[in-house]
Amino acid sequence: MTLILGLETSCDDTCAAVVTGDGDVRSNVISSQGIHDAYGGVVPEIASRHHLELVNAAVDDALRQADATLDDIDLVAVTQGPGLVGALLVGVATAKGLAAARGLPLAAVDHLQGHVAANFLRVAARPEAVMEPPFLCLIASGGHTLLARVEDHATFAVLGRTLDDAAGEAFDKGARLLGLPFPGGPALERLARDGDPAQFAFPVARNVAGLDFSFAGVKTSLLYRVRDLGEVEAAGRAADLAAGYQHAIVEALAERCERALAQTGLDRLAIGGGVAANGPLRERLAGLGVAIGIPPRELCTDNAAMIASAGRYAEALAYPHYLALDAYASGERALA
Amino acid sequence: MIVLGFDTATQATAVALLDAATGAAAERRHEPAAGERPGHAAQLLALASELLEEAGIAFAAVELIAVGLGPGTFTGLRIGVATARALAQATGAPLMGISTLRALAAAAEPEAPAGTGVLAVIDARRAEVFAAGWRDGEPVLDPVAVAPAALAGRLRDGPGTWLAVGDGALRFRADLEGGGAQIAPDRSPLHGVRAETICRLALQAPQATARDLLVPDYLRQPDAARTRNRPDR
Ligand SMILES: [Zn+2]
Repeated sequence: MTLILGLETSCDDTCAAVVTGDGDVRSNVISSQGIHDAYGGVVPEIASRHHLELVNAAVDDALRQADATLDDIDLVAVTQGPGLVGALLVGVATAKGLAAARGLPLAAVDHLQGHVAANFLRVAARPEAVMEPPFLCLIASGGHTLLARVEDHATFAVLGRTLDDAAGEAFDKGARLLGLPFPGGPALERLARDGDPAQFAFPVARNVAGLDFSFAGVKTSLLYRVRDLGEVEAAGRAADLAAGYQHAIVEALAERCERALAQTGLDRLAIGGGVAANGPLRERLAGLGVAIGIPPRELCTDNAAMIASAGRYAEALAYPHYLALDAYASGERALA
Repeated sequence: MIVLGFDTATQATAVALLDAATGAAAERRHEPAAGERPGHAAQLLALASELLEEAGIAFAAVELIAVGLGPGTFTGLRIGVATARALAQATGAPLMGISTLRALAAAAEPEAPAGTGVLAVIDARRAEVFAAGWRDGEPVLDPVAVAPAALAGRLRDGPGTWLAVGDGALRFRADLEGGGAQIAPDRSPLHGVRAETICRLALQAPQATARDLLVPDYLRQPDAARTRNRPDR
């Protein structure tokens, strides 16, 4: 049985996982740093320092939980980019060191390809619910918003991306305007449950061409609403504001998915990224009338099992051909 | 004992392989050209593997891993320490962290006349240097991040003479000479961190560092921590 060790350190979670060649998740360790909440956002230098402190213990935990040792590992897969370059470099240096010392091959994985490959994993909760290409994939998180046509297991074509803020970033910034703590997405969703989305209308950015997204307008609109209402009134109607704001983001995401499904003729939709955990988004997409694939929450947010999954289909480099491998901060390696 | 040692605290990537039984050492270096990125991530393991191949051994044969802990460039330090930790995790070899300032000073000590202190100075950017000083092998100036002019002032006000080495000594030669320090000539190899020295200091160190406790000597707080009390940032 082939075993793949995955590493992911592109943002503020230090992640290690062991996945089989068949896509069974044997372990999926996510070491959240927590400390960034106090700053209202991720501080790159602090994230990088914590990754270095946590990464080897995360690998040990992942191996132990998989009932394996490094002797059992056949391939090391690591996120090469995009992300915070200082943070990525901790994972890349660690993966290269582990692989080189054992003469193992190494797969350098694109983070977004990892989110796509989360759909190819089997977990106990949904043994047969694996998505097979081709399908449409929406990846929405605090760092990225992307609509992609997944052609096969190793490649995807970008159909649309955000022109400004990411969807999860819009949730976080909206939550901050409503006085909720970082990260605000889940808190905003909870608050919105008690609100009426029809009380306040927010722009859905329908005028953005093609399949791209824009969330700057909805954020600005909330800022003006809060200012116009005044502190006391805005606080009193925070649930209605949250509900309307969330509705606009969900609509923007869902309408693009709908348009992309119509344009591509695809009949299956997978979603990933932290925003995939949003209840109203899931409900809205379930109403589109196509098969929906949503990995469990721990495979939607950043994790190393999805990186190991992508490693199953990536072209791995044999030792010593990866020794000069570097991280990259931005851009996508996907097909245009 | 086979020691693999490296340092990535400065712009250079330095790697050495030392056989403690014979004292024989081989070193490989990458010095980026002016304006070129340091490329620590691309250089470090490639240079290490060249040395191992030349010696006809594999990573598994390394019995001690020694790494420069800085201070220096944050990203460079993390590449060095992460690589050292991973090699130790995969081979089981013990780990030893060595101060990069101490390594600079130790290599220069034979060149300093008796009683003359050795000052290791690393360019810390933002118009500062990381510096530490030893006299006759004893620490007399603890590692510090300081403006070159302030360092020169401390030298001037303190006793004794100094020989200064390191890329910070080169860059701020005028300031430090103003403080009475003598700077090794521009082309002197003493200004670069030698990985062989990292290896030798590791052999002298009393005990290995636990892997998960091995972290760089950053000597500076992250930017956000310095500004965290300003809520508008
Ligand atoms: Zn992500």
